[in-house]
Amino acid sequence: MRISKGGLLVIMAFLTPLIVELRTVLSWFGIRLSVVETGALGLALIVAVLIWAMWPSNGDTEAKLA
Amino acid sequence: MNIHTYEKTWLAVAMVLIVGFIATITYGAVGPGIAMIDDDGGTIDPDTINDDERFSDPGVTHVGGNEYEAAVVAQAWAYTPSEITVPANSTVTFYVTSRDVTHSYTVAGTNVNTMVVPGQVSEMTVEFDEPGEYGILCNEYCGAYHHTMEGKLNVVPEDEFDLTELSTEAPDEAQLGNQTTINTTVSNDMNYDLETTATLEIGNQTVEQDVTVPAHGSETLEFAVDTTDFGTGDHDWTVTVDGHEGSGTLTVTNATEGGDGDA
Amino acid sequence: MRNAYIDQFPEEARVIRAALWSSFLALMIGGTLGLIQGLHRTNVLRFIPSQDYYTVLTAHGVLLVITFTIFFLVGIFTWAVTTSLDRGVKDIRFTWGWYAMMSLGTLLVGVSILGGVVDQIPMNADVLYTFYSPFQAHPAFYVGFVLFVVGTWLAGFDWFRTWWAWKKDNPDERIPLPTFMALTTMLFWYLSSIGVAISILAFLLPWSLGIIDSVNPLLTRTLFWFFGHPVVYFWLMPAYMLWYTMLPKLSGGKLFSDPLARVVFVLFLILSTPVGIHHQYLDPGIAEGFKFIAMTNTMFLLLPSLLTAFTVVASMEHGARQRGGEGYLSWLKALPWRDPAFTGMALAGLMFAAGGFSGMINAGLSINYLVHNSWWVVGHFHLTVGTAVALTFMAASYWFIPQLTGKEIWNRSLGLVQVVLWFIGMTFMSNAMHRAGLFGIPRRTAEPQYEGFSFDPAVGTVAEIDAQVALGAALLTLSVYLFITNMVLTTIGGSTSDAIPDNTYAGTLSGPEDSPAIIDNLKLWTSIAVVLVIIAYSLPLASIIDAGGLFGPGIDPWKPSVVVDPSLVLESVRGVMP
Repeated sequence: MRISKGGLLVIMAFLTPLIVELRTVLSWFGIRLSVVETGALGLALIVAVLIWAMWPSNGDTEAKLA
Repeated sequence: MNIHTYEKTWLAVAMVLIVGFIATITYGAVGPGIAMIDDDGGTIDPDTINDDERFSDPGVTHVGGNEYEAAVVAQAWAYTPSEITVPANSTVTFYVTSRDVTHSYTVAGTNVNTMVVPGQVSEMTVEFDEPGEYGILCNEYCGAYHHTMEGKLNVVPEDEFDLTELSTEAPDEAQLGNQTTINTTVSNDMNYDLETTATLEIGNQTVEQDVTVPAHGSETLEFAVDTTDFGTGDHDWTVTVDGHEGSGTLTVTNATEGGDGDA
Repeated sequence: MRNAYIDQFPEEARVIRAALWSSFLALMIGGTLGLIQGLHRTNVLRFIPSQDYYTVLTAHGVLLVITFTIFFLVGIFTWAVTTSLDRGVKDIRFTWGWYAMMSLGTLLVGVSILGGVVDQIPMNADVLYTFYSPFQAHPAFYVGFVLFVVGTWLAGFDWFRTWWAWKKDNPDERIPLPTFMALTTMLFWYLSSIGVAISILAFLLPWSLGIIDSVNPLLTRTLFWFFGHPVVYFWLMPAYMLWYTMLPKLSGGKLFSDPLARVVFVLFLILSTPVGIHHQYLDPGIAEGFKFIAMTNTMFLLLPSLLTAFTVVASMEHGARQRGGEGYLSWLKALPWRDPAFTGMALAGLMFAAGGFSGMINAGLSINYLVHNSWWVVGHFHLTVGTAVALTFMAASYWFIPQLTGKEIWNRSLGLVQVVLWFIGMTFMSNAMHRAGLFGIPRRTAEPQYEGFSFDPAVGTVAEIDAQVALGAALLTLSVYLFITNMVLTTIGGSTSDAIPDNTYAGTLSGPEDSPAIIDNLKLWTSIAVVLVIIAYSLPLASIIDAGGLFGPGIDPWKPSVVVDPSLVLESVRGVMP
């Protein structure tokens, strides 16, 4: 674990507004996502964050502090 | 007082932001001249709305040039009139008041929005550039059926707009051989005289009359109809003035078939 | 030897527990009603008639923004004053007295609102939280409101009295920060609640009793907003106090600056009241110049909140570095994210930043016309009072309830899930509300689906917006229930623990000695506040009275209980129109 479980939970929560508003931002560039596409994108982001968090950290002690 | 350098910087940035906000709003008011709802509309006793010069006959009137006035009375749970039609490229001053509780007069999705407080007249000037259709709604809670209070705003192309209204009055029946009349009243809420032609079509006849309706006035025309021209039976008629129509049916009967003979 | 609040002040702890439980009860009922509204408006599930929506809305508003917030406030301020002065209240019977008075007031208001849906109660108060005349509620509604407010006045007197006693013993000491915050908050509360007191006692109550037969709707409305905006700071100040005095400690460090914290509260004392007219930007009968004064004052009121943002983040960073955090942003990882009290407050602060931005839009005199009374506003205040305040209070409870009961929280992990769930639910709900407001969906409307037109979102569809709001409302309600469950099980089932931390609040990096003593001169700041209020309000009030009369031009009362069929009304409209 690179970060604490609590920290991971907060990061995943913080993804919610980013994903919701990403849809609005993309629409300015003419990219219109449907709800399902937005959900899929969100899921992909969450999986990416999970993989990043679970990746064994090499001798990083920071995680234990949190 | 001991203030950290970063905090001083933050303080300065915050002040710039605040002064910037105030400056842009002030510029909006004095530069482009965005005016707010204020006390110009004056006060009114809700019980006297029906006697009020402006609100006794609410609706759109022409002031001059491309300027119009729209008087609207709000009441739980409707606007009178519920539908407003104005031309594009016009400047319309709304006067809105309430007969009972506080309402709003809000053109959905735009900044045309005012509270309507009983006892007060809200005055709001709006410029309409483009034709379009908008919903009007009440966004201030006004009782159990607040959610049903709505209206409509139509901005129509200039060449499709007028303030001419037509009403007709004619008997349904006439005896063969008699004369009768179809009365047509043309009203004009523009600020200039309306010179136009009224056309009556009945049977296969067409009668035209020229008419001049004074500004903010009305004129009544009499179309004389001689029943002997048509014979017995039902005859549809239509009066047309500037694209506005009034119509009805005249039934011509034989003198012996009833009636008192001199209708 | 354990040294929690209950050990230091067992008597006061009982009153505070009672106040907090009153607050939680209001939160649970009000939250449930919120779900009913969220599902009804969005047409996901409608099981009440739309006319009753407004009864539910009145109860939701009053219970959450008055009962929930202010009961929590009086509890927390009692804690703040007694803890920081290190002495109990002067007379605990007096303390119970104001608590009882506030409870009685709440009961009267609650019953009169309930009358809107329960036929057996011959009352009606479907007048919403703003009770704009000519809507006329049952007299019990107004009496209850007055009792509640007077109860808070007495609570303030209780704290002042405790402070005066402390000052006698400590003549040369600076006011401890938590007490300073409680006292400055109460001062602007006294000043601003005069407005609503006059509105009710001089006009609405005598009118509802039939003593006078007309009121001036614009006047009572203006007097309401004289109180109606400061009241939002009244909710917010306890949250600010917790961010200043608890959050740095929970982060593991100290408050960045005591002097600036004092400056912030002084600014709120001075500027809270002369801004109320910014709720009336769209009102007729108020000259544009007065609206400009309110706008300018409002903008300057951004300053204390921007300063707070700095101080809170700086204190958190300091805490994180004390815990071994390093780097430009990596220090964030060192914060105690497992602690629901810390995480809840931090997320509340983050959402408050978003709420602050939409608030800047609201304050903008000209752009306000686009969003006034739209769903945008509802999105805005669900971020401010609905999250900055409510989530901070819930988060703080994870620290306070052990202090007040001597028991460990039943399940802290569930607490963490609860605060995070609130953040997610509120993201969905308030985001959709803000966007819906921009294309014109109104607030306070049971069925914002109209016959003659439909709304036109820039991105997505109205159905998506509705689904987002319904989802958010469901998550928020779930979060409230998790919170209540945790609190109930802690109180009745939790085990008494010796591991409860000591009752303290955050130390400071830069203490009160770094600020001039004049900062503590409450008389001076109160006088300035009074002068600003006179400048902002005397002319508008005079012109409203001058134009419309003290009692209005023959305004008939409108009792919301008289429900008639709208088609009949439409006919009567056509009848009166010439």
